Formats: sequence, C-alpha cells, structure tokens
Amino acid sequence: MSVKPLDAAAAQDHLEMVNRILAESHQRLCNGGEYFVVWGIGSAYITVLAQLVHGGLLPSAATWSLPIVIVACAAFSIVRARQTRGVLQRSSLLQREFFNVLWLTLGLAFVVDIAGFNIFTGLASAAIWSVAEAIVLLYIGMHGNRRAQIAGVLVIVSLVVANFASPGIAGYVLGAGILFGYAGFGASELLARE
Amino acid sequence: MDELLLSKVRLGVVAELLNFDWIAFSELARSLDVSNGNLGAHLSKLVDAGYVDEEKSFANRRPLSRYRLTQRGREAFASHVTELQSLLKAAQ
Repeated sequence: MSVKPLDAAAAQDHLEMVNRILAESHQRLCNGGEYFVVWGIGSAYITVLAQLVHGGLLPSAATWSLPIVIVACAAFSIVRARQTRGVLQRSSLLQREFFNVLWLTLGLAFVVDIAGFNIFTGLASAAIWSVAEAIVLLYIGMHGNRRAQIAGVLVIVSLVVANFASPGIAGYVLGAGILFGYAGFGASELLARE
Repeated sequence: MDELLLSKVRLGVVAELLNFDWIAFSELARSLDVSNGNLGAHLSKLVDAGYVDEEKSFANRRPLSRYRLTQRGREAFASHVTELQSLLKAAQ
C-alpha cells in the first residue's frame, strides 16, 4: 500500500479529529426514562396496595390487581423495546454493561420475591424492590448522572425511614421513595431529553 | 505507523467504533459526514484487514449493515495514535 507519510500538521489534524470523536462518543447511559416511569409507578402501586391490604383498608381480593399491573408493565417494556430497536443504531459498551446490571438486579429481585416469599414476607418483599432500584439508580449515578445519584439516595433514605416508621405507614414511605426516586428519575430524564 | 489508518476517514471510523458495541452504516456515514460510496470503500478495507467486524441483516424489511471494532483494530488504533503523538512531540 503506497500512502503519503504524515507530516506534523496532518498528525495534529488527525489527533484533533480523534479527540473530537471520542469526546462526542460519551453517550448518555440512560436512554429509557419511560421504563423508569412505568415500572416506578407500577412498583409504587404494588407497595402501597400491600400496605392498604395489610392495614385492612382494602380487602385481600385487591391483590389480584398485582399480576395485572406487572403484566401491563412487562407488556409496555416489550412493545416499547420493539418500537425503539430499529431506531437504536448505536449501542455503546457502557450501555450494554448497564443493561446487564439492570436486568440482573431487577431479575434477581423478581426471582427472590417469587421464590423467597417465606423469607421476605410482607413489606420485606417490597423493600427488595427498593434495594434493586437503588442499585440501578446509583449505577447510573456512578457514571456522572447527578439526578440518578439524588434519586438513588432518595430511595435508600425512604428504605431507612420506613424501617423506623410505624408499621402503619412504612409501606407508604417505601412507595413514596420508589415513586419519587425511580419514577421521578425517569420523568426527569424524559424532560431533559425534550 | 499503520498505513491503513493514515486515511483520515478510516481513522475516524475506528475512533467512532472505539466506545461502541455496534454502529450502523448510516449512523457512521452521518457522524463522519462522508458519502455512502466513500465510506463503503473504506469500511471494506478495514474489514479485509480484520480491524472491523461486519454484520448484515434486515430491520423492518430494510437491509442493515453494522460494524464493530475487533481487538486487532483496537490495538492498531492505540499504537497508531501513540505514534501520531510521538511524531507531533518530535516536531515541536
């Protein structure tokens, strides 16, 4: 291959281009605020409903709405993922790692909730979701997203406050943490994208 | 110095692919602001040299070509950039 050798000016030009491309390639880690909103509202509903049923304010038959909410959230995720698959032409290594963390954390929380119901009874099963969602938020926060850092801390604080709150309101505290932390983060990401 | 990466377009392609898993052809052409024909020729050379992996498929019934950097391409890029920096330092 016969190629003209580079002089210093051309080398500088090439290096500047490389630096510009690398600076621009720093893509936002979270590109799916809508998932956080939907799952945040869904999981907050589940937590608050558990508290209402546990407190005798709603009949236990109301818990039949839980599978419907979970299926609705899952259906939204599947449909939305299919819609955006064609649009998503770039997939960064960091994003792939993020999705691994997301699915592993939430998947594990789901399995623990289903399979470990004798260990994680009552509000403990709801608290698992707060822990899982805090991990996801703080992971995003670790990569420079200040809103995710605040949201992750908010979810953790709600967990601690719920621990010391009276049993009659602990579920509401957890639900509020999930709603404002997880769904709130998603909403703020959507607003920032506009 | 890596002769394949002396081309600004090819160097740009490798730099674009560095932090990404896969990038579609159209997205690369848009980012680098080059014509499809020009980019296709440069990508062929990078694929032939083993610097870039190519995957051809269909999305919504339209052909989709996407590319990702191989380990060989990653190493070639790192060493080429180091040599560019040395050249610049020597000239200063």
